[in-house]
Amino acid sequence: MSASQLVGAETAKDLDEPGRGTSWLRYVAMKAGGSLFSLVMVVLLGFFAFRILPGDPVRSLADGRQVTAEQMDILRKQYGLDQPVIAQFWRYLTDLFRGNLGDSYTYNRPVMELILDRLGPTLLLTGTAAALSVVLGLWLGQRTAWRRGSMFDKAHTGIALTLWSVPTFWLGLLMLLIFGGTLHWFPTGGMVTAGSTATGLAYVWDVARHLTLPMLTMVAVVYAQYLMVMRASLLEEMSADYLVTARAKGLREDQVRRKHAVPNALLPTVTLIFLTLGGLIGGAVTVETVFSWPGLGYLTFQALSAPDFPLLQGTFVVFSSIVIIMNFFADILYRVLDPRLRTA
Amino acid sequence: MSAPSGQETLPTNKAPKINVAAARRRQRAGEVWREFCSNRSGLIGLVVLAIVIGLALLAPILAPAETLDVTRITAGQNEPPSWANPLGTDPSGRSVLAMLIWGARVSLLVGFSATAVSMVIGTVVGMAAGHFTGWTQAALMRLIDFFLVVPGLVLAIVLSSIIGPGVTTIIVAIGITSWAGTARIVRSQTLTVESRAYIERSWALGASNAHIIRKHVLPAVMPLVLANTTLTVGSAVIAESTLSFLGLGDPSSISWGSMLKMALDTGAATGGFWWYVLSPGLAIVGVVLCFTLVGRALESVINPTLRGR
Amino acid sequence: MAFHETTEKLTPHSGAKGKPRRRLAAAVLAVSLAMAPLAVAPAANAATETPGTGTILKLALTGDIDSLNPFKAILASSTSILGLEYQSLVAYGPKNNEEIPGMADKWETSPDGKVWTFHMPKDRKWSDGEPITAKDAEWTFKAIQTNDALKQANGGLLESVASVQATDDETLILTLNEPQAPNPGTQLPIMPAHIWSKVPDPATFTNEKDSVGSGPFVISNYDKTSGVTLKANPNYWQGKAKIAGITYVPYKNTDAAVQALKTGEIDIVSSLTPAQYNALKNVDGITTNAGAGRRYQAIGINPGTQTHDGTPMGDGNPALHDLKVRQAIVMAIDNKTLLEKVMQGLGQPATGEVPAAYPLYHWDTKDLPLKYNVTAANALLDEAGYAKGSDGIRVDKQGAPLKLRLMGRNTDPTHQQMADYIKPWLKEIGIDVSTVMKSSAQVNDDSTVGNFDLYFTGWGMGPDPDFQLSINTCASRPNADGTGATSENNFCDPAYDAIYKAQHVELDQTKRSALVSQAQEMIHKSAVNDVMYYANSLEAYRSDKFAPFTTQPELGGVITSQNGPWSFYYATPMADVSSTNATSGGFNAAFVVVPLVIVLLAGGGFVLYRRRRTTSDERE
Repeated sequence: MSASQLVGAETAKDLDEPGRGTSWLRYVAMKAGGSLFSLVMVVLLGFFAFRILPGDPVRSLADGRQVTAEQMDILRKQYGLDQPVIAQFWRYLTDLFRGNLGDSYTYNRPVMELILDRLGPTLLLTGTAAALSVVLGLWLGQRTAWRRGSMFDKAHTGIALTLWSVPTFWLGLLMLLIFGGTLHWFPTGGMVTAGSTATGLAYVWDVARHLTLPMLTMVAVVYAQYLMVMRASLLEEMSADYLVTARAKGLREDQVRRKHAVPNALLPTVTLIFLTLGGLIGGAVTVETVFSWPGLGYLTFQALSAPDFPLLQGTFVVFSSIVIIMNFFADILYRVLDPRLRTA
Repeated sequence: MSAPSGQETLPTNKAPKINVAAARRRQRAGEVWREFCSNRSGLIGLVVLAIVIGLALLAPILAPAETLDVTRITAGQNEPPSWANPLGTDPSGRSVLAMLIWGARVSLLVGFSATAVSMVIGTVVGMAAGHFTGWTQAALMRLIDFFLVVPGLVLAIVLSSIIGPGVTTIIVAIGITSWAGTARIVRSQTLTVESRAYIERSWALGASNAHIIRKHVLPAVMPLVLANTTLTVGSAVIAESTLSFLGLGDPSSISWGSMLKMALDTGAATGGFWWYVLSPGLAIVGVVLCFTLVGRALESVINPTLRGR
Repeated sequence: MAFHETTEKLTPHSGAKGKPRRRLAAAVLAVSLAMAPLAVAPAANAATETPGTGTILKLALTGDIDSLNPFKAILASSTSILGLEYQSLVAYGPKNNEEIPGMADKWETSPDGKVWTFHMPKDRKWSDGEPITAKDAEWTFKAIQTNDALKQANGGLLESVASVQATDDETLILTLNEPQAPNPGTQLPIMPAHIWSKVPDPATFTNEKDSVGSGPFVISNYDKTSGVTLKANPNYWQGKAKIAGITYVPYKNTDAAVQALKTGEIDIVSSLTPAQYNALKNVDGITTNAGAGRRYQAIGINPGTQTHDGTPMGDGNPALHDLKVRQAIVMAIDNKTLLEKVMQGLGQPATGEVPAAYPLYHWDTKDLPLKYNVTAANALLDEAGYAKGSDGIRVDKQGAPLKLRLMGRNTDPTHQQMADYIKPWLKEIGIDVSTVMKSSAQVNDDSTVGNFDLYFTGWGMGPDPDFQLSINTCASRPNADGTGATSENNFCDPAYDAIYKAQHVELDQTKRSALVSQAQEMIHKSAVNDVMYYANSLEAYRSDKFAPFTTQPELGGVITSQNGPWSFYYATPMADVSSTNATSGGFNAAFVVVPLVIVLLAGGGFVLYRRRRTTSDERE
């Protein structure tokens, strides 16, 4: 999460970029090209960055155990670590095109399978957290803007900024100690009650209870940025001439707000939402660790300590691709929504 | 208006002209300061920050290094707050308050240095992306986009594992992953500035790229960069603690992040030693909040369209 | 499904748009509302019982599970789970880690120690009812020997085995390459041939569901989200366990696990920190156990690393090639204080590598040759010709100040804590120390190729010390690129190799024990590995749900991570399981009260501040 997101409208996509006159096709092609470039960068970085990580994966696997030199050689051969880096890279590329991310060293299973296993929980956590914080942020944002300078405004801006300043893992731990450990309101970790065989509604209920604390932790820390951006862009809209006209026409205040100001102010905010999703997914690493959530973030972190190259590459590529694709959609959406661009 | 370029460096001959430029600058600074002072929350943030920085600078006087030498400590381990140790002691018997003061040094150092790295990269790349055209611009834009979308924390984790532990590593990792936002802002500002008439006049007069960037663009983007920077410091302080929490920090230097990490690792949270878990966390919240308040205040002063936010 | 309700409440566009003026705490309220219905859900410690089957023991699984395939599983948590499902030919008993019948009930050794014969009783069955025979054991040994892909987990155990043969269903004959004293039947899990010989590729078989084994529990399911469940094996030869099964609940941090123990979500927690252990001591319904650890904590001192063929490598300080410097360092470190301060006394003072938990091979001496003595350490350095400079730091033979680096792992908080003590202690004898904490993988790399002066090290070990001793022989030194064998500290001394060899083939227990002690004394005196303490294994369990567990060894032993399934096999639920209640014990008011007070103060201050300046700016 970048600090600049608290600043507001500037961070939203600058309008000047693909000029207003460009055709739809050209616009999409440009954006797609950019995304493709980022994807290629990710694929390259995914391979080479992790190769220079210190630590011999085989020796780490053997750490503290009775392992012979021959065994370690067998493992190196099995993982292809005895081959030159360029050969390993070729194998990585060709595998990637076949949708194969290789086999994890630690888990002895295809990386794709491991990632798919954990993708669901991570999407559930970040998805609900994102949805709730967007809704909360936008709603509070427009109310605070409308009542600028009021007690309501000051209190909410203050609360949001304070929560935004809290380290996520620390807040999570306090929530866990208070609501999980001391008050016993919620489970202390995991996604379902261990060993439970519940299905249907009971299962949903169980997951919901486990989801509450980690989700609220994420929401508390991130909703401030949506609030701030919404507030800022609404304030900008409110000084616009057309609102004065609208009022002059005798529209009621909340109609003015609902029909005119809010929809226009939403525009820069939408792009920001997509931009921040990357940060959200990254933030999942710490929340997942604190609440033992069986997700992708924690898997990445585990893979680092091995280091489990194929798993690291896999999670990195998947993480980044999700964000890059999201961004691409944001650009398209922006074009669709912005009337100034649409008319071209 | 003719560009006041280069005069400051020759303060001997053209005295009257310099004074005009300098005075205008001074006057503008005074205005900014007055406007800033009218923003109460920003002012409070600034005062608190000044106090914290003061405490950090005075650390060797307030809590001499010997008080942190575990072999000379007489206080018990994990003692609750008392008059002798107002914030209790850590698992080695060191005063948490003393550690907090020393920790402020490293945390703020990381915050400021990482921000400096990020600001420099962001400003240079952003200005270049706005100033140049064609391939250079395209390449730079892609680079910015890439760093904007790659999950920062994941990249920082990778970076800090590669470079190895240490305060420098954290600074570099945070700096490298957080510049893209600044670059984007700087680029838009650069585009705005360069579309103004006086720049075109400079071009016509045969000014070089370097001249335009240094004399016109940089001064124009600087205020915005500064405001943004203040916000980034807060983020960097949080990022430091997050990296420490994930075990990528430097446990051998006392920072708020490494204190929290040590507290959690030794089980202080469930052991009931709340003073050790809450103090560094609250310190982080307080300082980050102050940076945020100051940053927002600065911003609304510099960018009048945001006034009243 | 409370979220949907909440979402609607918060969405301005939905439904009741009537109330225009929601005051201050609207959002806060909404969030609390969202939490309330969930909070009144069934008490957290819902059911330790599964309908009709009896008590389930729930354990916190803080480690990671790499695989539940015994050919592949390496990580400690996986192997300890598999240890409940698969037996070896010979087991280690609960009383004192003594060798007792496992799958074989008797065994004998040929006089030269090369041929071992194991007798397997006739009427035992796998959990699926198939008979257990010597053929199963033969298949397991041969599968590993003939397929490289299956060597990952236990290949090292078979290095000494020349051939294996089941002469009939009840007899297994192991022929070794050379005589050896350690029993070759102890650690290798024997697998059911009728299952594993039929799977297409044993190396990729996950073995995660309804698995078949011979131990007291078998894996019934492994789910990434809800953990590993095992059920009692009715065919276990000593009889079915008293509990119906075991569930391993994944916890990524011990603080959460401790909270779960307090709320009753789990029954046993291990790997506690001293602070957590002490905090749980006085909680109602919870009993703590500090079991004698099987791991030593030491500082490795770089004596001048060499490769397998004696070529120097690494960047260790040459001053450490001097035995006297190394000895002085050992003598300057106060192990007793470290144990007292860092482990809060929860451990035993150390002598050699073999922990006191294994009395048979522990080097039992009251008078360590290099015991803590700063004066003697200083004298030793003076005598060796390292004069102190004006700043109190000694200079080496080249005239440069004596500066050493101390390396530790950033994953282990005790390393930094110990470093905080060791730095000033070594300053007392005129050595300047800088500390650096690195990632585990980096420490493994650096220590293997000798890029260190001093570093924190430690090994956990099983009841037989042979492997631990073997990694100090000259042959264990690695290749120049860090591949090859594993050496503990790159120690190499032909005299030591001779002792190692002697104990390896010594079939007489008393003589072998003496040799093992002698080997440890040699390492100690050469000052390459300063063993500081054996930390206790800190555990806690719900004593209101379970009777005290069987520890190994019987006195002062551990509950979890035993060499064998005993603690869980003998686990006895309390009669009144139904009366379990989430104890309010350990209610830590501070974490609620302190933040509350801070919030109130801040809020109050804010309100007061507003009061003073407020006029009517609340009106729109």
